[in-house]
Amino acid sequence: MIFRDLKQMGILGINNRVGRYILRHNKRANYPLVDNKVLTAQRAAAWGIPTPENYLVVENYGSLKNLHLKLLNYDSFVIKPAKGSQGNGIIVIKEIIKEEKHGEIRILCRRSNDKLMDIDEVKHHISGILSGLYSLGGQSDAAIIQAKIDKHPIFDDYSYSGIPDIRVIVFEGFPVMSMVRLPTKSSDGKANLHQGAIGAGLNLSNGWTNNAVINNQVVDTHPDTGHNLSGLKLPFWREILELAAHCYDMVELGYLGADIVLTPDQGPILLELNARPGLGIQIANLAGLVPRLEKIRREAPHNLLAKERADYSMKNF
Amino acid sequence: MKKFVVAITAFLILFPIGLLFYKSEVLNLSLIPQMVDDVWNFHLTVKPKGDQLSFSFPIPRSSLGQKVSDEKIRNKGIEVFVDSNSDSSLATWSAKEPINRRITYSARVDLNDVVYKNIPKDYTVNYPKGLQKYLKVPELLPEDVAAIETLEGAILEGSEDKTSLVRKIYYYVEEEIQRNTDIKTIHETLNIGKGSPLIKAKLFNIMARRNGVPSRIVVLARMPELKDEQETKIRFTFSNEVFLSNKWIPIDTNRGYFGERPDSFMVIYRNYEEVEKLISKKKVSYSIQAERARINRYNKAEFKKEVVKSDSIFSKISLYRLPLPLQTMFTTILLIPIGTLVLSLARNIIGVPTFGIFTPILLALFFKETSFGFGMLFFSVVVIIGIGERYILDKFYLLAVPRLSIILTLVILLMIGYAFFSVDLTSVSQKHLAFFPIVIITTIIERLSIQLAEEGVINTLKTLLGTLVISVLVYSLYFISPLEMFIFTNPELLVTIIGLLILVGKYKGYRISEFIRFRDLVRQKKKKESQKYDLP
Repeated sequence: MIFRDLKQMGILGINNRVGRYILRHNKRANYPLVDNKVLTAQRAAAWGIPTPENYLVVENYGSLKNLHLKLLNYDSFVIKPAKGSQGNGIIVIKEIIKEEKHGEIRILCRRSNDKLMDIDEVKHHISGILSGLYSLGGQSDAAIIQAKIDKHPIFDDYSYSGIPDIRVIVFEGFPVMSMVRLPTKSSDGKANLHQGAIGAGLNLSNGWTNNAVINNQVVDTHPDTGHNLSGLKLPFWREILELAAHCYDMVELGYLGADIVLTPDQGPILLELNARPGLGIQIANLAGLVPRLEKIRREAPHNLLAKERADYSMKNF
Repeated sequence: MKKFVVAITAFLILFPIGLLFYKSEVLNLSLIPQMVDDVWNFHLTVKPKGDQLSFSFPIPRSSLGQKVSDEKIRNKGIEVFVDSNSDSSLATWSAKEPINRRITYSARVDLNDVVYKNIPKDYTVNYPKGLQKYLKVPELLPEDVAAIETLEGAILEGSEDKTSLVRKIYYYVEEEIQRNTDIKTIHETLNIGKGSPLIKAKLFNIMARRNGVPSRIVVLARMPELKDEQETKIRFTFSNEVFLSNKWIPIDTNRGYFGERPDSFMVIYRNYEEVEKLISKKKVSYSIQAERARINRYNKAEFKKEVVKSDSIFSKISLYRLPLPLQTMFTTILLIPIGTLVLSLARNIIGVPTFGIFTPILLALFFKETSFGFGMLFFSVVVIIGIGERYILDKFYLLAVPRLSIILTLVILLMIGYAFFSVDLTSVSQKHLAFFPIVIITTIIERLSIQLAEEGVINTLKTLLGTLVISVLVYSLYFISPLEMFIFTNPELLVTIIGLLILVGKYKGYRISEFIRFRDLVRQKKKKESQKYDLP
């Protein structure tokens, strides 16, 4: 019977995740800290946790009017809703093109998938964000204009356009499971498993990939680059786990998903946090979360620093 | 689960059930009102044979166990006269020219069981003059008289009172004479022990009268069974009535009822001898039809009396005390918590995706408020508009709120169209266009629009299907009228539902949908493990 197999493997189901871990370990009052990326960035700055630089936060329609003048200051940027989820509403602009025709200045933005967008389309997209089209529950929202992050060279062979990110599940401050999400052509360069990105499970002890899936199916090679997915070892592994563990101190959510990106120059930085991280990470690792969560709950020592908790996880998982 | 949670949950679930027991065992209240037997639409068409200026035919009349109302007896150009003696009605239609067409009669008839329990012993010897005709024994062949005398010697021995005498005759005719519609004379019946329903009634009648019990043959119409609604044509059949302890007691030797007439029989005429010639196929051709006017009606009025009479706390807090419109509203909304239970099971235990949390419930109410067909049609059109607008209005770069408002306005335009369309066809039901459905549909469009933006068309359609399935399930609850009535009668059961919802909320196990989601995980894990062992 499959349910017995699931139980034996310690697979965490939705009901269990919500009932036993999220409701008991996550204080509702702290949710805005992770649901609103503006607040996350402010809090992170105070705690010395590196995040991508927020160039601008657009909060009302009035500031859309002269927005193009401000955008011209940057070569590239990312537009994202402050309260968005699952990567919805995010647009990556890698180049700004200024055209002059018949004395009129036209501003075009080149997206990461090389499609061109007129500045008015960009503004419309932002106004959609403001009206709450992409926010959780449809409340009105703010749009963040954020520095575009470059891909770390280690991912050159493992990613199709887009930036891979590393998801770490942190329980009571201890990293318990991790995967790296690698964009593919079918995911349109997005690191989103639902859209067909690769999820590659990572050994917590050393940062080596242990397994990879696309849409819940095991794969050995990247469909676009053809590279063998088992040969990837993430650099800065200890720093990545330490950063993730540190996020727990920052937002005090017992069950937390930290999305981290590797930058070529800064090393690992925090992209965003998630109070209800998905369960697909178990498929990417071919392992269940329950035994690890229970081990932390029963045995892990209290009052450790983030660095010590990361060490504990590297030793035990 | 923690002990106090278990205790509270158990209390919530069991307390109302305990109340139910208290109500039914201690207060002797019914847990659900009695079904009332239903009202029938009765139709009769008669046509006399040959050139007749007038003819008569029996028609039903109100009496114990049957109430006749809304009679329509007039026919154009024909005079009608109704002769109502104390027991039956006979209508006589007459015209100046021979009647060559069908005469129609129709009425509403409310039928109820007639039951006499424990008929007392009857030693009456002398009957009033009016009953003398019911004691007159019809003429019979001498050998039949002899046969009946022998029979009586054998079966009636030692009977002291008329009630037990009648009972013995009844047992004999009911059990010993087999039903056979080909046997149509007393003579044959006495010889071979078989007889048609009419002959059995006649034999009983003769034997009762011979033994000094006033008796008569009753012409009945048997109502059609509920199952075959199409077959509404019925025929006359026969039973008896005997006069015991000052009452006419119904007796049916054909279907085996003593002192009882079930509500499936309607009395047409109480003395067959008087109408024998009138209903003969030689003189008239006729057809009778009956269909139920209403089904599944609960006798709320009776139940209210019962509750008030019990003089308990429940008589003060019963929903039956509310004015009727409020009662109707509560019968509808009291099922919503059961709907939420279905929804919770579907979402948290099965894992059916739905958009919005209570959208399926709202949709079910929408179906209930309008009709399933209309609801589905309307819903599909709205979904199509909702998806279509994404492709069309996308080019306009509109903000979200005005954009949704445009859809809502389109829906209202649609309603105008529907109103015109259906006025042409049939009478439009006003409630189809009420405000309530508009509000529900608006919520649905909003949820749909957000989901379309966030998860794309395919996922939205999946979610839509889940939403529809659950709403149809919830909607179908409204067809279980005993359930509706049960909750309305015992609203404390809602507390039990809270208890059950706690149980669902406490469920930490896997959802059925996760079986599908993690199916590959288990398989691949096993595959990987077996590969390990294959290594040299």
